Amino acid sequence: MIEVSGLTRRFRDRVAVQDLTFSIDRGEVVGLLGPNGAGKTTTLRLLTGYLPASSGSARVAGFDVFEQPMEARRRVGYLPELPPLYDALPVRAQLAFASELKGLSRREAAAEAERVASLTGVSEVLDRPTANLSKGFRQRVGIAQALVGDPEVLILDEPTVGLDPFQIREVRDLVRSLGGRHTVLLSSHLLPEVAMTCTRVLVLHAGRLVGFDTLDALVARHLPGRTVTLEDIAFLEEIFGKLVSPA
Amino acid sequence: MRAFLAILRKELAIHFTTPVAWVVLVVVAFFSAQVFAGALDGFRLLVTRAGEAPGGAAILDRVNLTDAVVARLFGSVGLFLVVTTPFLSMRLVAEERRAGTLELLLTSPVRPASVVAGKYVASLLVLVAALVPVSLFPALLSLAGRGAQGGGAVEWPTVLSGLLGLLLLGAACLAVGLAFSALAPAPVVAALLSLLVLLGLWLANLFTVGAGSAARNLAAGLSASEHLSPFLQGRIALADVLYFLSLCTLGLFVAERAVEGRRWG
Repeated sequence: MIEVSGLTRRFRDRVAVQDLTFSIDRGEVVGLLGPNGAGKTTTLRLLTGYLPASSGSARVAGFDVFEQPMEARRRVGYLPELPPLYDALPVRAQLAFASELKGLSRREAAAEAERVASLTGVSEVLDRPTANLSKGFRQRVGIAQALVGDPEVLILDEPTVGLDPFQIREVRDLVRSLGGRHTVLLSSHLLPEVAMTCTRVLVLHAGRLVGFDTLDALVARHLPGRTVTLEDIAFLEEIFGKLVSPA
Repeated sequence: MRAFLAILRKELAIHFTTPVAWVVLVVVAFFSAQVFAGALDGFRLLVTRAGEAPGGAAILDRVNLTDAVVARLFGSVGLFLVVTTPFLSMRLVAEERRAGTLELLLTSPVRPASVVAGKYVASLLVLVAALVPVSLFPALLSLAGRGAQGGGAVEWPTVLSGLLGLLLLGAACLAVGLAFSALAPAPVVAALLSLLVLLGLWLANLFTVGAGSAARNLAAGLSASEHLSPFLQGRIALADVLYFLSLCTLGLFVAERAVEGRRWG
């Protein structure tokens, strides 16, 4: 569903991403993991066609991102690092606008806005201006926007950054539920984040791919006997979740 | 086409939910009213004095309301457009870049040309809205002059040609502003740069005091006010139309290249 070969991007004197080669199957949820500055955002921007590559190629949903950009973009939903929302527009108009950009008619777009809003739990804020939303809602509206037009591939840049642990869990559950129907590539600099949502992990360091495997395999290789750590974190977050939402 | 219309509608919604478009409409209408009242007063004074002076009838034969009031008003509106349109156009691309929403547009299956066209046409509609109150003044004159000697006091062909000139001027200003909005790092920078360039074009014919005739011709050829004034006198010349259309084309071309080139930064 996503095939990348020799993908390289230079910015003047600096190489942001170097010689990436990997492929992701349909329905997978893959994490792009790496410290800040490793080239995660650049990689995602290359795959969405926002940035052209210096060399190499990328195919998404069967279309070359650089040669057939319109075809490829029709099949990709993208949440950039900052959710791209117009402060002046209500959420409903924002989502309908994004749907129309994807090629839906006005009538279809209105229905699509409702559909993705209910999928992501933002129906209650549909008529509020995006400028007045909390960070958690902005992020979810951003994800809703990536979902318009039911794209085959979802590319999410740090979907949980800036959220509180409870919101993180909601978004994580949401992303996990999107797998299967969509092929998801999401970036994060938090290992547990990726561990809990993704089937496989791409590890990026200084613009190079240093690992691509299932998490269990990565942990087994690099940290023999340390799988417990991840469960501990999940455990702590579960306690926090119970504290903030008495059920 | 769908994307173009979606962007057009979105831009109009933003133009009229933020104060900028309203401020421009009010500023143009308010200052036009001032100029109109002043010009009308001046005309009345002229007519009164001419009526009292010997040989005044000859003067009265050579003046009329359209030239003395409407052309003067439209000339001032030209300057108002030059000064206000940069604030309409500054946001168009620069704000999208600042807010990160350009990333949404450029990763959607939409061509940069549709983005630029949708934004441009939306700003043109705001311009037309700003010219509506301006065109009410000659209509007012015409109503007030009905029944007076000479019948219709206002020469409508001249008024319409003047409005066409203002529309072309405004369209050129918005295209130049859009180009700067696409090039500048921030809306304020875009506004200042386009204001500088547009005022330069507007006043170009004044910069040639003491210059040779070749320089003077060049300056007049570049000057937006020189190209507007024939319209105000009811003369629509191809050269003047082409002048404004070339500015529009140039501005839109640069804007489209700059939006496309954003990817390459």
